Amino acid sequence: MYHTVCVVHYMANSNGANPDLFETLRLELRRGCLVLAVLARLKTEHYGYTLRKSLSDAGLAIDEGTLYPLLRRLETQGLLVSSWREEDKRNKRFYRMSPEGERVFAQLLEEWKSINASLDRTLQEAGRL
Amino acid sequence: MSTASKSKPNELLERYLYGVKFWLPKKQQADIIAELSEDLRSQVEDKETELGRPLDEDEMLAILKRCGNPIVVASRYRPQTQLIGPALFPIYEFVLKLVLLWVLLPIFIVIVGPALILPATNHVGAFFGVLGTLWTAFFNTAAIVTLVFAVLERTGAALDMTEKWGKCSLPPLPKRPQPPSTTHSIFELVFALIGIFWLLAVRHYPFLLLGPLSTFLTPAPLWNTFYWPLVVLACLSLVRHLIQVARPELTWFPPASQLFSTVVGLVVLKYLIDAASRTPSGEWHPFVMLANSVQTTGQLTRVVAIVNVSILLAMAGTWLGLSIAAAIQAGQLVRHFRRRTPSAIDPALLRLF
Repeated sequence: MYHTVCVVHYMANSNGANPDLFETLRLELRRGCLVLAVLARLKTEHYGYTLRKSLSDAGLAIDEGTLYPLLRRLETQGLLVSSWREEDKRNKRFYRMSPEGERVFAQLLEEWKSINASLDRTLQEAGRL
Repeated sequence: MSTASKSKPNELLERYLYGVKFWLPKKQQADIIAELSEDLRSQVEDKETELGRPLDEDEMLAILKRCGNPIVVASRYRPQTQLIGPALFPIYEFVLKLVLLWVLLPIFIVIVGPALILPATNHVGAFFGVLGTLWTAFFNTAAIVTLVFAVLERTGAALDMTEKWGKCSLPPLPKRPQPPSTTHSIFELVFALIGIFWLLAVRHYPFLLLGPLSTFLTPAPLWNTFYWPLVVLACLSLVRHLIQVARPELTWFPPASQLFSTVVGLVVLKYLIDAASRTPSGEWHPFVMLANSVQTTGQLTRVVAIVNVSILLAMAGTWLGLSIAAAIQAGQLVRHFRRRTPSAIDPALLRLF
């Protein structure tokens, strides 16, 4: 994942491409990866803020305006379950992966590995040209 | 720090959350705001711990700014809605162009415009009146087309339409424009020559124009004014065909010269009809009249009137036909030049795939 983002970043900067175009492509590239990253983190229970911090610490910063709508969508799709609980005298919504989410996550992970391997081969071949 | 200044950053946060809440769907407002509020308060706490003091207004504003415009933040919680989705949009664009540019505009140029402008005493005023009507018609038509497509989008008919397709629904490849064949051009040239000879002869032999009626009818003086412009028009057509035969590689020339001939024909015809309509109504025989040698009778006068009216109607019909032809030829010319641009796809290339 990191490798792919770096390649795109390098291409945009070296070619002097339109920064708006780069931003659009970067967001497209991140969109699918974020779902995978969020599902991976929610194998253990998190509430929004700690989830954001943990993703950010792993190098995948995500703003609240993106994360919370994504969490809601994944919950509506049945991949996550959530519950409100009090912690440190404040009500917080905790998320974790549902059994359906775990099944879909396993499939997505396989797909991701396959895409990543294909992309690596393609980029290596492109590098040799 | 005073109590008032302490409360200001918190008030800013509350106002921000209220701003987001305003744009959220009612059913989800409380839930989303509780979660967003918790996140923002956690960020504030972390920042305050880092600084060792409460945040001031600017620092709070920085956190909220990073979170984003309340409308944008709220919009992310809504499902994506489009009046006309990407699947239907190309068809919508095509229909809109077709209706506005290829139906409505030609109707205004050929029928509505002349019908409103020509009889008016103030042509400029009538022209601007037609422009206003055209704009209203454009606006209303576009609104109706958009509404129809929005309904198709909502009802899911678009999905049905875009998913059901097969071999038969694929469009045929456009025909590659072929220059007219030499035989065809030579025939046209011969007919243009015969036309000129006929036109030159008809002045001396009215039988060629009027047939048996020439025994008692003769062309009216109006033709003296328009005879030579008509001869020039016929000569122009001859020159056009000559160039087509001599330089067949000039593919732009046939449509361009045809359009030019049609427009010149329209102008001559317009003046001819105008001149005919200016003839005093008491002696209205603008095109043909009784020959001097013939004694006027009631029956012959009626025949002359019928022939004149028939010629006028034929001319009006020709004018309408030429106007439509001019619009079509203009479209053909535009398409011809578009095909010549490098961005256009050569149909021959398409066949390779």
